[in-house]
Order: sequence, then C-alpha cells, then structure tokens
Amino acid sequence: MILEAKDLNYYYQDGEQRRYILKDTSVSFEKGKFYTILGQSGSGKTTLLSLLSALDSPQSGTVSFNEEDIKKIGYEKYRRNNVGIIFQSYNLIPTFTAVENVLVPMSITENEIPEDTKTVAYNLLDFIGIGKSKADRFVNKLSGGEQQRVAIARALATNVELILADEPTGNLDEEMEQEIIDIFKKLAHEHEKCVIVVTHSNEIALQSDQAFHLRKGVLSSYE
Amino acid sequence: MNFIKRGFLGITRKKGKSLILLAVIFILGNLISGAFSIQQATGNVEKNIKERLGAAATVELDQEELNALSEADWEGVEIENIGVDLIKQIGELSYVKYYDYSMSTNLGSESIESYQGEGMEDQVVMTGPSMDYRLKGINYAPVIDFEEQKGKLVDGRVFTQEEVDNGTSVAIISKKLAEKNNLQVGDTFTLTNAVYTYDDKTGEEELANSRDVVLEVIGLFEPQSIKEDQGESSDGGMFDWMDIEYQNTVYVPNEIIVSETKFNMEEYMKADAEFAAAMEGEEQTFEYYTPMFVLNNPEDSAAFEEEVTPLLPEFYTVINASDQYDSIAGPMKSMSNLSKYVLIAAVIATLLITGLVVLLFLRDRKRELGIYLSLGERRSRVVGQILIEVMVVAVIGITLSLFSGNLLAGQVSDTMMKADSNTSDEGIIYYSEIQQTNLTTEDVLDSYEVNLNSSYILGFYGIGLLTMLISTVIPLIYIVRLNPKKILM
Ligand SMILES: Nc1ncnc2c1ncn2[C@@H]1O[C@H](COP(=O)(O)OP(=O)(O)OP(=O)(O)O)[C@@H](O)[C@H]1O
Ligand SMILES: [Mg+2]
Repeated sequence: MILEAKDLNYYYQDGEQRRYILKDTSVSFEKGKFYTILGQSGSGKTTLLSLLSALDSPQSGTVSFNEEDIKKIGYEKYRRNNVGIIFQSYNLIPTFTAVENVLVPMSITENEIPEDTKTVAYNLLDFIGIGKSKADRFVNKLSGGEQQRVAIARALATNVELILADEPTGNLDEEMEQEIIDIFKKLAHEHEKCVIVVTHSNEIALQSDQAFHLRKGVLSSYE
Repeated sequence: MNFIKRGFLGITRKKGKSLILLAVIFILGNLISGAFSIQQATGNVEKNIKERLGAAATVELDQEELNALSEADWEGVEIENIGVDLIKQIGELSYVKYYDYSMSTNLGSESIESYQGEGMEDQVVMTGPSMDYRLKGINYAPVIDFEEQKGKLVDGRVFTQEEVDNGTSVAIISKKLAEKNNLQVGDTFTLTNAVYTYDDKTGEEELANSRDVVLEVIGLFEPQSIKEDQGESSDGGMFDWMDIEYQNTVYVPNEIIVSETKFNMEEYMKADAEFAAAMEGEEQTFEYYTPMFVLNNPEDSAAFEEEVTPLLPEFYTVINASDQYDSIAGPMKSMSNLSKYVLIAAVIATLLITGLVVLLFLRDRKRELGIYLSLGERRSRVVGQILIEVMVVAVIGITLSLFSGNLLAGQVSDTMMKADSNTSDEGIIYYSEIQQTNLTTEDVLDSYEVNLNSSYILGFYGIGLLTMLISTVIPLIYIVRLNPKKILM
C-alpha cells in the first residue's frame, strides 16, 4: 500500500450550510497498478486528486504515503520527492524547451538522481516518444499530445513511484489518448509505479486494474 | 535548472520584458542619481568652504540686536566689557584648541614709511596725522594668526611668554614693510603715539602731546591664505585694501597697547577739561579685549556657541567664522534643498512605479510560479528567482544611470547656478576680526563640482539597490500567497 486516504472530508461553506464534496472518503492504492477515478463533472474528482497530491488539505481525515501522514512529511516536501502530477492543461513553462521543462523538477527534488541530468532528461523524453529534435524545441511549438508527453516525462523525472493525473487526455484525440494510456499502463506494469488517473472515459476505465466511481461525495468500486 | 539559473533564463528569454524593466529603472535611476549627485556636491561644498573659513570663533557685540533697539530702549543700557576672566573661562572649554585676546590701536610714524601696495609707492601723498600702523596685541605667544595660516613667519622668531607677560618692546612686522624701510630682524623702529585734541568750533585738530614707541623687530611675516586663494582675482579692490592693512599690521604684546592707550587717554583728559569732567568718577579701564578662539573642529561651532552664549553679558553674541557660509552660500543652499526634495520624490516614485511594474510582470507569470510550487519548490526560492531577475536588471540600470545621472546633474546644476548667481544679492555683512576672509559667492560656486567619487558611487548603489529591493519585495508577498491548486487545476 503506497498511498492511503482515510475518512477524508472536504466541504465548502455555503452560508450556514456545509456543502460536502467528499464525505468520509477512504481509499488505498498499491504500487504496480493503474487506477482510474470516474465521476460526473462537478462530482469532486479534481478535489480528491488535489488532496492526494498535497495541493490542498482536507478539513478532516488523513492521506498517508508509505504509512506516513503527508502532513508530517510536509506538503512541499511530499510534492518534490514523492509524487508526480500531470494536469489536463499540461502546465509547462512556455519560455523553456521540452528538455528544460523536464530538468526543472530534477533541480528541486531531494531524491537521488543520476549526475548527468541532461542525458537522463533526453532519455526520459525519448522513452515517452519525444525525440532529440523536439526535445530542444520550446514547448509552445509542440502539439497538445507532445506537450502532455513532456508533462509525463517531467512527472517521471524525479524518479517517483506515484503518478497522479487529472484528465490527462481531456484535450487530445482518441488516437493520442490511447498512446498516452499505453504509457501509463507500461509505467504501472513494467516500472512498478502507482498510476492514478482521473477521467471521464469508460474506455480508459475499462483498461485500468481498478476503477473507482465518485458520486455524491462517496467513492465506490466501479464495475 | 535551479532557481538561480531560472532567474537568469527569465531575463534572457523574455527580452522585451527585461528591456521595459531596464528602461523604467534607468529613467528613475537617473532622477535619483542626479539628485543624489547634487546633494553630494553641495554637501562637499559646505564642508570645503567651512574648512576654508576655519574653526575660529569670537565674542562680539551683537550689532543686529543693538540696531534693533529703539531710542527709548537705549536709556539705562549698560554694555559690559568682556573681561579676561571670562575669556579664560571660555578658552578652557574642551572645544577650544587655543585662544587669544587682543587689543589693538593705530599709531603713526615719522621715521618709517607704510606699505601702500605694489606699484603705488609714490602715488599717495599723505597729509596730516597718519595712523597707518595697526598694532595688534597678542597674549598667545606663538601668534594665532600664524598657527591658522593667515600669515607665515618667514624670518626671526615669535614671542616668548616672558615678553608677552612683561610687555617687552618687541614686534613682528610684515616682510614687505621691513623691505620698504630696510629693516632686519634685530633692528629697531619708532612709532609715534600722538594725542590730538579736536576743536568743535574750528574743526581743527591740534597736537596735544606725543611720545615715541620704540620696538625691536624679532620676526617677519608674510600674509598667507588671502594671497594664495585670490592670486588673480578680478575683484581686487577689497582684496588690495585688506592686504595693505595686513601688511601694515604690527604684532606686539598686549601690554604695550594697554600702556599706549592709557597714555593717550590721560593726555587727552589733561588737554580737554570738559571730557575729563565728564569722565570724573567713572571707573577707568584701558583694556578692551577682542577674544579669539580656535576650535578643534569647525563642526564643533554649534555646540561651542550653545555652551558659550549663556556665559555672555547682555548684547554679546558668539560669531563663528563658518557663520559666514550662510551669507555667501545662498544659491548652494537652494540647490541643496531642491535636490533633497527631488531625491525623496524620486525614491518614492521608484518604489511605486517599479513595484507596480514588477507586480504586473508577476501576475503575467502566475502560472509559471504556480508550476514551481506544484513541483514542491520552496517559496523562498521562487522569491529568490524573482529577486535575481529584477535585481540583475536593476544593477545594470542603476550602473548606467550612475554615469548618465551624474552627467545630467552636472548640466542641470550649471544651468541652475547661472540663473541663481544672477539673482542673488549680497546682504549687509558685518566684518569682524575672524571674518576677514574674502571668500565670496563666486568661490562657493567655483568649489562646486559634480564628480564621480567613491562615496557617491557607494551611496548611490546603496540608495538605488535598496529602493529596488523594497519595491520588489512588496509584490513578492503576492508569490507567498499564490495557491497552485487554484492556478493549475
Ligand atoms: N471555490 C469553490 N467554492 C465553492 N465550490 C467550489 C469551489 N471550487 C469547486 N467547487 C465545487 O466543488 C465541486 C467539485 O469540483 P471538482 O473540480 O473537484 O469537480 P470535478 O469532478 O473535477 O469536475 P470536472 O469533471 O468538471 O473537472 C464542484 O461542484 C464545484 O462547483
Ligand atoms: Mg476536474
């Protein structure tokens, strides 16, 4: 069990009332598996992911990484050493090239990474399908699919075991979508990562080792 | 790709942004450096001129206060003398390096000729009783005028304390006067203390009595400061007059003057019964000393004045040599004030404008900053990155404006001083013993110089970078409050 959420409560104060997005939500994830989280728009998928990635904190409940409360690890430290996050809108730095974008987290993390960071970055990009010539391009001169690959490479750059992605293929066509999903599957099954992907798509859910469904603040297994 | 490298990439990858920032800093930097240059230059002038004016001080009747008295006020006004005891008391204050008190009188001579200026030897024909020689009494044997470089002993020696105490008939005269009369150290010369009576009805003066004053020359002096500074002054009239007076000054122990004054007064009373009657019963004193204090440091003037003023009898005031600065430095002061206000305004404008520009740039880069935070970068390093981006540009902009602002200041102050010196009018100046320097407004303006010295460079970098730092730090609060979830998800 690499990641575990326990009794998460997350609500917005709506006047006198509390509007719960997550209510006593508990869930756990393991290494080497590819998970999906499904749910209608507005059901709280992004909220859950933000709690798992320490970009936000719940009003109550805990998230533990390798049995340790991430609050205790420190949110910032957890983000730089233990988790890779992939966003729907890529969120790359437009004034940097692809390889420079991959180098950024390598200089932030405290994890051990090979000395020759540039080679590692090029290799990572190559593994994800971005050749040398594209790696040296400014990212705003890459297609959406290519940009999302760079974002995946960036998430992998710190050699983390946990990858969280919020609708990573939301802006991509089906063909591109499948290629990205294949990468995630490979990461989980061949590289022993824990990959958690939020998605709208049943197709993707069907390909995952386990799918969850979020509805009215409650997370349940999806068949 | 750590935050330092990212900072430098931030500058080079967004050249347009960097150039705009550079232009803003350069323009504001010019204002600051211009105003600061002028501040520095005016400050240096004040120091320089006050140093040239010297650290002398004296105690005198306050002419302005006396002039302000109405006729009625004069009734019953008694003006005390400054006694030797008070002078000594003041002289013992810690601010005082050394002090002297002096009586002076004017005597004529039948045997020697006075100095009348270069090339004027035969032009002036004196008639009637002449009083060409100014005897200046001293109590401080080494002679303060020599110590303070008003004059310089070029031959012979100064007085001994014994000569001063006993009133020995010895004198130090100017080299020019000695040359004119073929006098050497060791020679004697004779002055005449002549007592004249004045007849109100006929308006004629009549010699009542006279006696010879024989003095031995022990030293020769040459005037110093006036000569050096004013070598080719066009404003020669005043200078010549002052020079001639000084060349004909004879330094002697105070006692000699006391005794000659006493003789003069007594003989006058013998000859003028009316005056004698009027003086009947008055306490007789022949000692009217002018004190002269030389302070350790011109900057002590104010403190010295504060301490001495309560000790003085009514109507007396402390006059510092450096007080004269205020009367000749009008244009300098207005420029100093103006530049001070410009400096303050420029610093405030820089804080506001660059603060705003930096804030706008940061808002523009909200997403990028959010990405760093989502990757777990410490907020302090994100702040560090932005500081590097701004401060590197700031150092360049400030360095450029260091030179151009300084040049600008030179131009501006030239123009301002030309305009100012035309309108400045010279007020009434009361000349006194210590204020015989003839530094003028011209001298003040001449010693004004805008230049690039190390204190200007350090000072300007200090002000400039601190201002930039503050105006960057304020918008950085923005970064600290950024919420990456809101930006990115
Ligand atoms: N600042 C806020 N104040 C109040 N309600 C909010 C705020 N932010 C989000 N919400 C609400 O929280 C709920 C969950 O939002 P969330 O973004 O987690 O949904 P989601 O499942 O990711 O939806 P989508 O599939 O459209 O991305 C939504 O109903 C949304 O309206
Ligand atoms: Mg969402």
